[in-house]
Amino acid sequence: MTRPRVALALLVLAVGCQKPLKPGDPLRGLSRAERDRFDRGKVVFDSVFTPETGLGPLFNSTGCGECHENPAGGRGDEVEVHATAFRGGVCDPLPQEGGPVIQQHTTPALKQALGLDEEPFPPSATARAMRTSPVVFGGGLLDLVPDSVLLAYADPGDQNHDGVKGRPNRFVDGRIGRFGRKAFVPTLREFNAGAFAAEMSVTNPQQPTEEDIGGKPIPAGVDPAADPEITQDALDLTDDFVRFLAPPTPLKLGKDGRRGRDLFPQVGCASCHIPTLHTGASPVPALRNRTFAAYTDLLLHDMGAGLADICLGLASPADFRTEPLLDLRGAEHFLHDGRAATLEQAIELHGGEGSGARDRFEALSAADRAALVAFLKSL
Amino acid sequence: MRRNVRTAALTAILLVPLVTSAPADWVALTSAQPAPSYTYQGTVSAINARAGTLDLITGVGMSLRVVPMTTAPTTRLVAAGAASRLADLKPGDVVRAECRRTAAGLVADRVEKLAVGAP
Repeated sequence: MTRPRVALALLVLAVGCQKPLKPGDPLRGLSRAERDRFDRGKVVFDSVFTPETGLGPLFNSTGCGECHENPAGGRGDEVEVHATAFRGGVCDPLPQEGGPVIQQHTTPALKQALGLDEEPFPPSATARAMRTSPVVFGGGLLDLVPDSVLLAYADPGDQNHDGVKGRPNRFVDGRIGRFGRKAFVPTLREFNAGAFAAEMSVTNPQQPTEEDIGGKPIPAGVDPAADPEITQDALDLTDDFVRFLAPPTPLKLGKDGRRGRDLFPQVGCASCHIPTLHTGASPVPALRNRTFAAYTDLLLHDMGAGLADICLGLASPADFRTEPLLDLRGAEHFLHDGRAATLEQAIELHGGEGSGARDRFEALSAADRAALVAFLKSL
Repeated sequence: MRRNVRTAALTAILLVPLVTSAPADWVALTSAQPAPSYTYQGTVSAINARAGTLDLITGVGMSLRVVPMTTAPTTRLVAAGAASRLADLKPGDVVRAECRRTAAGLVADRVEKLAVGAP
């Protein structure tokens, strides 16, 4: 038995006797104070912002819970637009034209001032991408996987000749990224603070300035709330709520599911969707030194021209982070833009470094394909 | 050690009234102190070597901003531990810039090109 399978088996054994964690549940083992912060953070997460409390003037949603609502921290049915420019091998995230996240709504005051219904699409963009809302369950655990682990899984030169490379993305300041569909953002804290600013235009102590509107300053009088529009305490509480969200316990496997679990590494899925990861140090015991089912290496992989859209950081248009397979059973659409209606379609759309696993999946008997899908639907 | 602490505390107590009742020219002297420094680490977005200007992309998560700055003849540019020139930088490079805020905006005192892990 290989080491990852032993770790996964031990993990299954360890959680087997406990009540299963449902989507939206907090991690096990939180202290009373941490549980209190989880509950208070959920209130901020579920709150609805208005222009008077900081929303806008450009925005995609009125609160975190609008897009991550099934349940709080989970998926939503929203699809947003991103845009960047890729020229000469260099990615420009276009901050001078409003940044990579295109806000699709405006407040009444901005509409009255400029007649805009949404943020203007950046004229310099070379590509447009659609993005579904990701689940954020298990984010606190993913945040704590040491960079050294990610680098150990990277194989940019394909030294083992398995056709799977994998490389870390880098944020604008050079740090290794891991959050977002392009693994651009280094930490969960920054991902959350950035989401307040990019999705709701709610300024906060980490991002205290409003975004320009297509490179032009916001007209006077359309943004009544003083910056920063939420306090550090509110930001910290929201961060703790997301950080303490547990990955849902996988469902108990039947015969087919167990067969599918065996096929998962044989087909090659586990080359990128690493079944378990281990966290490092943390002041929170419930997060510290934990082995958890992650099914990701948090690295970028070339997924082929068929899926290519925008660049971001070092990620080329065809590069995507291996999506963690957390709460897969709750998904109604698959892949970064929701283009796949079924898991079979999602696998069949894997190209580039994923094409070997895809081909092996397609070569399976119908019963084995169904078994592999049954396993995935247990996650 | 305890004597030093006691001396420092006594000195502080004696100086407080002097500072709080400082004359106007003391305040002017204070405001003439060097401007506070700011350090930005980000990706070069645009360079105009002739004009001595540099735009950096910084930000938090997916919320990105452009930080424009100028260089002066005294600005030290460093790459791989050696002196460099603004013209040697290109969009996509990651740099750390130590700046001060002036009436004309941010002025870089030192710009260092960072070696970021290859893709």
